[in-house]
Amino acid sequence: MSISTQMKTRRSLIPIALTLVAVVLALVLKSHLPGGELRAVATIFMFIALSQAWNIIGGFTGYASFGQVVFFGMGGYFTAVVMLKWNFSFWLALVLSGCFAALFAILIGQPLLKLKGHYFAIATLGVAEGMREVVINLPDLTGGGAGISVPIAGKFAKTQYLGDGGFYLLFLALAIFALGIGTLVSRNKFGYGLRAIHQNEDAAAAVGINTVRSKVMAYALSAFITGIVGASYVFQQITIFPERLFDVEITVLMIMMVVIGGSGTVLGPLVGALGLQFVSEYLRQHFTNAHTFILGGIIIVAVILIPQGAVNYLREGRRTKDYSLLTNIRKYRL
Amino acid sequence: MDTFLQVTAYGLLQGGLLALVAVGFSLVWGIMNIVNLSHGAFVILGAYIAWEMQSWIGLDPFLGMFVSAAVLFFVGYFFQRFLINLIVNGPVFITLLLTFGINMILIQGMNLLFTADFRSIQTSYGSNSFEFGNVRIPLVRLLAFLLAIVITFALVAFVKRTRTGISIMATGMDRGAARLMGIQARHVYALTFGISAALAGMAGTMIATIETFDPSKAGKFTLMAFVVAVLGGLGNMYGALVGGLMIGLVESWAGQYLSGTWVNAIAFLVLIIVLIFRPNGLVGKAFYAARVEF
Repeated sequence: MSISTQMKTRRSLIPIALTLVAVVLALVLKSHLPGGELRAVATIFMFIALSQAWNIIGGFTGYASFGQVVFFGMGGYFTAVVMLKWNFSFWLALVLSGCFAALFAILIGQPLLKLKGHYFAIATLGVAEGMREVVINLPDLTGGGAGISVPIAGKFAKTQYLGDGGFYLLFLALAIFALGIGTLVSRNKFGYGLRAIHQNEDAAAAVGINTVRSKVMAYALSAFITGIVGASYVFQQITIFPERLFDVEITVLMIMMVVIGGSGTVLGPLVGALGLQFVSEYLRQHFTNAHTFILGGIIIVAVILIPQGAVNYLREGRRTKDYSLLTNIRKYRL
Repeated sequence: MDTFLQVTAYGLLQGGLLALVAVGFSLVWGIMNIVNLSHGAFVILGAYIAWEMQSWIGLDPFLGMFVSAAVLFFVGYFFQRFLINLIVNGPVFITLLLTFGINMILIQGMNLLFTADFRSIQTSYGSNSFEFGNVRIPLVRLLAFLLAIVITFALVAFVKRTRTGISIMATGMDRGAARLMGIQARHVYALTFGISAALAGMAGTMIATIETFDPSKAGKFTLMAFVVAVLGGLGNMYGALVGGLMIGLVESWAGQYLSGTWVNAIAFLVLIIVLIFRPNGLVGKAFYAARVEF
């Protein structure tokens, strides 16, 4: 084995070792946390998975999907409906709802991914808002605005409720799954193709990347992850409403985590999800009334000071030996 | 037939209002390539200012809207000059996030200041209306509609005829060239944003005289502005008027002839179809399409 490949394997071993340490830590933590804290940490895991999902289409490919929550909602509603009406087990519903979300992404991706920039962002937002209205207006199937409940106990329930500890593990598994997919995408040819599309789509097509297929696949992949997270969220919440499951705020949180952490990297969304969710939870507990107010301020400051995200900022700083925030602001200002 | 005429009249009146909400949004998007997610919050803020004016000194909303416009002009100018200008060259989602942050601050701020109760501006002539054939037309709605049209034409005249307006257009077409001609792009951008916010404030005042409002309605107006601006074509001010009237009519007809809230789904369906087949809007040329999107 040559030295360079040795270094390569060593470099790729570090994240795996770190992941293992983190998983062990998370499992140790599980037995020491009370129920409420378990739920809070499970939410952090949920957002780690969601931000990784958004990163694939928004970070790598550069298509700002502002309606990503549509896959969360579709996956969630798919699970709720098949569990309630056709008595599916949760685990089957989980996988199927991911496929359902991915299929939907392929269908709408064909026309929508031809749009660029703001147009794509707004079209996806329109899809999310429109689908919420569709769900509200199909009360026979989805329960409409009054919501729908999944069976969690008794003889009608194929899968018993998992409890705080169970959902902690489930969301941990989803987070690891999403991180794994993110790492895979970032390191193989498909991912390099996506990055090329991000930088210059025409040039990417010219060097032989099938841009349409790559974009649609990236969209479907990110929809799959978002869909299964939505399905798990529904089972955790038991009763769900269209307003919550298609809430624009969920999309915005995903984007915020990716952007603040560093888009187009695997580490960035992870850092962003951890940081933002901790800050948000802290503010919620200490400033009950004004927490969105302060959070908004933090977003504004973070976006202006480090628009490329924390991870990219540190990497660039290490390369150029320049950590000055002023040089950073100069980059995008008028 | 009478029902149809009545519904159509309502749709047109509502459409004028939507056009007024969207015209500033469209201006900012067209000139600066910024999608301002806090536009709806500006609308609601304008409504609150006019409401406060009426309850403090009994100012009529049709005068109070100028106070709203003035205050919001400065708010908008400030936001653009000191915040948005700092990242105006960044990728799409950076500007979206920043304006969303502003939106969060404004909405939560209004919640803390004014509480989340429903409010509306009551006037002595608020319930007046007149018959036109068999069609009943409420006075305030008609006034708001006429005002929307006057403001749109005034805005076009301002942008096309005045020196400041032409500098705004020039900066929108080619910022580099405009700066070489001695235009201060920072100031012009802030001015454009201020004008947009002022128009949102006027629209908010009109809305407050017609229906109830509270901070949580802001998102709805931002979305409506999106739909209307895209339908009309970006930066196209007559387009915003046409788009507003169209959406007003579609919503009004759908509300009458379809059950439930399908009407909202249809608005978004129209939006997506237009985006896919005519991304430059229904009206006018592909003027802004040649600009570099990044």
